[in-house]
Amino acid sequence: MGQFVQFAINGLMAGAIYALIAVGIVSVYKATKVVNFAHGYLIMFGAYFYFTFAVIVPGQPWAPAWLASWQPGWMVEMRGELPMFSPVAAVLDWVANLPRILLGLFGALVCNAILGRIIERVLMRPLMGQSIFAMIMVTVGLISILSGAAQLIWTADAASVPYIAPNMPIRFELFGTMIFLFGTDLVNMAVALLLFGGIVAFVKFTKGGIAIRATAEDQSTAYSMGISVPKVFSRAWVLASTTGAIAGAILATRNGISPSLGLFGFSVLAIVLMGGLDSYVGVLIAAMVVGVLEAMTQWKMGGGWAEIVPYVTVLVVLVWRPHGLMGQKEVERI
Amino acid sequence: MTMNRRSFLATTAAATAATGTPMILRAQPKEYVLGASLPLTGPFATAGQLVAPAFAMAAKLFNDEGGIAGTPIRFVTEDSGYVPQNALNNYQRALASEGKNMIGYFADSTGAMKLIAPELKGENARIMGSTSFASELADPATHPYQYLSGPTYQSQFDILLQNIKNEGGQKVAFIFSNTEFGRDPIEHGRKTAEELGLEVVLEESTKAEGADIPTHVTKLAQSGADHCILQGYVTGVWPQLIGGARQFGLPVKFKGTFWGMEKLIADRITAEAGPFLEGYEGVMPYRYFYDREDAPRYQQYAELSKAMFAGTPLENYMSTWAIQTMCGLEIAMKAFRDTAEAGQELTADNIAETLANISDWDSGGFFGGPVSMENNAIGTGRVYGYNPEDGLFTPKSDWFTV
Repeated sequence: MGQFVQFAINGLMAGAIYALIAVGIVSVYKATKVVNFAHGYLIMFGAYFYFTFAVIVPGQPWAPAWLASWQPGWMVEMRGELPMFSPVAAVLDWVANLPRILLGLFGALVCNAILGRIIERVLMRPLMGQSIFAMIMVTVGLISILSGAAQLIWTADAASVPYIAPNMPIRFELFGTMIFLFGTDLVNMAVALLLFGGIVAFVKFTKGGIAIRATAEDQSTAYSMGISVPKVFSRAWVLASTTGAIAGAILATRNGISPSLGLFGFSVLAIVLMGGLDSYVGVLIAAMVVGVLEAMTQWKMGGGWAEIVPYVTVLVVLVWRPHGLMGQKEVERI
Repeated sequence: MTMNRRSFLATTAAATAATGTPMILRAQPKEYVLGASLPLTGPFATAGQLVAPAFAMAAKLFNDEGGIAGTPIRFVTEDSGYVPQNALNNYQRALASEGKNMIGYFADSTGAMKLIAPELKGENARIMGSTSFASELADPATHPYQYLSGPTYQSQFDILLQNIKNEGGQKVAFIFSNTEFGRDPIEHGRKTAEELGLEVVLEESTKAEGADIPTHVTKLAQSGADHCILQGYVTGVWPQLIGGARQFGLPVKFKGTFWGMEKLIADRITAEAGPFLEGYEGVMPYRYFYDREDAPRYQQYAELSKAMFAGTPLENYMSTWAIQTMCGLEIAMKAFRDTAEAGQELTADNIAETLANISDWDSGGFFGGPVSMENNAIGTGRVYGYNPEDGLFTPKSDWFTV
């Protein structure tokens, strides 16, 4: 039982990150009806922006030393001879990195928001009123552009970035089994769920959110009711890009940074289809189910199956409910 | 000029001498060519860009030594983007443009080697080395023209398992990427472990990128392994696995194979995440570049590097990836030269036969001593360990030959 709980928690932690990635795809779809195939690559850019501001900038000769590593006397003394992975050492190491972590997150948020805005303004808005298919094809083309641009700017070099939260080991006994957790994964999960909840609340309870929902129902009616549809489009892309920046930073801390991060978007696309393209709650459930299924399959059947079983489940769900678990069934009026 | 009897006879004699020259001399081109596909872009661009200068150095070195029996050799490198199909296209293009002058080719992956292998027939056959240590390629019956410039992954596992046995290890875990590269030595490793009396307590496959580290580390912790061999990774996953295990306080000793043993990567990880690679060991077929006291060939490389790459990071350190490429080129050159010196034409069949029979070769320090080709591979290597303080991999065992 203890082992079951261990792998379930591992799966939930992975699922929360899937959910944070998925929220961007759902937001853009809800507002514009465009399935953004390039979302994984927006996330990859978020990761690279985090890398730029948290690793490259602090490493420059002109950057102040405290930005790369803040080492006040009291902390150096406290750190002393502590073993590398002791909880206190992990917290102190994180505090030393805090200036560049904050700069990295701030830089990633701002730059990704600008990138999302540029994509929407230059590529998507001119296509407003045209077929949705054309806009979807533009996002497919964006994959090559973003992937190539990232390699041009940052090269294909793999690199690592500082953890967003203290990465201390957490151990406790449950049902006679020792449970191991990474501190930073728990914080990542909390951040992902908070952001997810925040976005759902924004869409449900704020004026801007209501505009997104109205536009999703019917663009022409939304226009006639005085809603600025271009603004809604823009807002949805910025929302997707900024959540993507956080998701990218978290992914980079877990997996290191490389152009292959963009591929995550495709596995998450399957999760979004399973949950329902226009349902935040459905996508959250689907992300958690896939995360837990992956962990459980890895535990019981090994890695070869872990890459198949969850996606077979996605297919089964889609056969059963073509619009996903909680997706809205589209009614064609003739 | 008027033609008289004397000049007619002289001209005729000269023409007869020219046309009567033995076939081998007539067939000898002005220069030989060795083509290569390198991943100058794509996911392994870093490795490709570090390896590319080795070809410039090889051209200078080999031609200063007299090329192949006095004929110079030219290296033609092209980008593959690490896509096997691109490497195949590059090969076919080089074959078409260079013709018989091209006597060898260098590919950048197992995939490229496998894709090009069926092309190596009759007139189109060329001797071919690569960056691959795939066990499947080390079989002259199925891949007569292809060779490995070191031990197969299976041999590398043999070396590591023997080393674990010598250290008193009892329970071993294999963690590998779910790729052909990762799976290559697993079954063989299981058999070798059994023969050595080691218990394989975990065989865990992971995604090649973006693996779920907590889950894998949890399974490693539950397995009770005292040693863990990592296979099928280059820059990612393996450091996170080691970092995760260290955080959990697992006393497991980690060992890697060739592609997880580059100093530049280990240094970068240490700089970013701290000295947690302390104690990490792995098998390396070659000496590291800084260990050149007993490696006269490395000393030559060092001098050339200083002259040719001054002001770049290559001036003082040659990556293990570049060393592997240089070793592959040295093996090819030895086969070319030995074939030419034996008075044979440089056909793929003649070169392949010479290469397969290389024995007791003094490589000038790449390996611990004279080595021989067996099944078109060189089954030797030793275990090195990483020290984060000085950023050096240093020997932890003697040279093993398997």
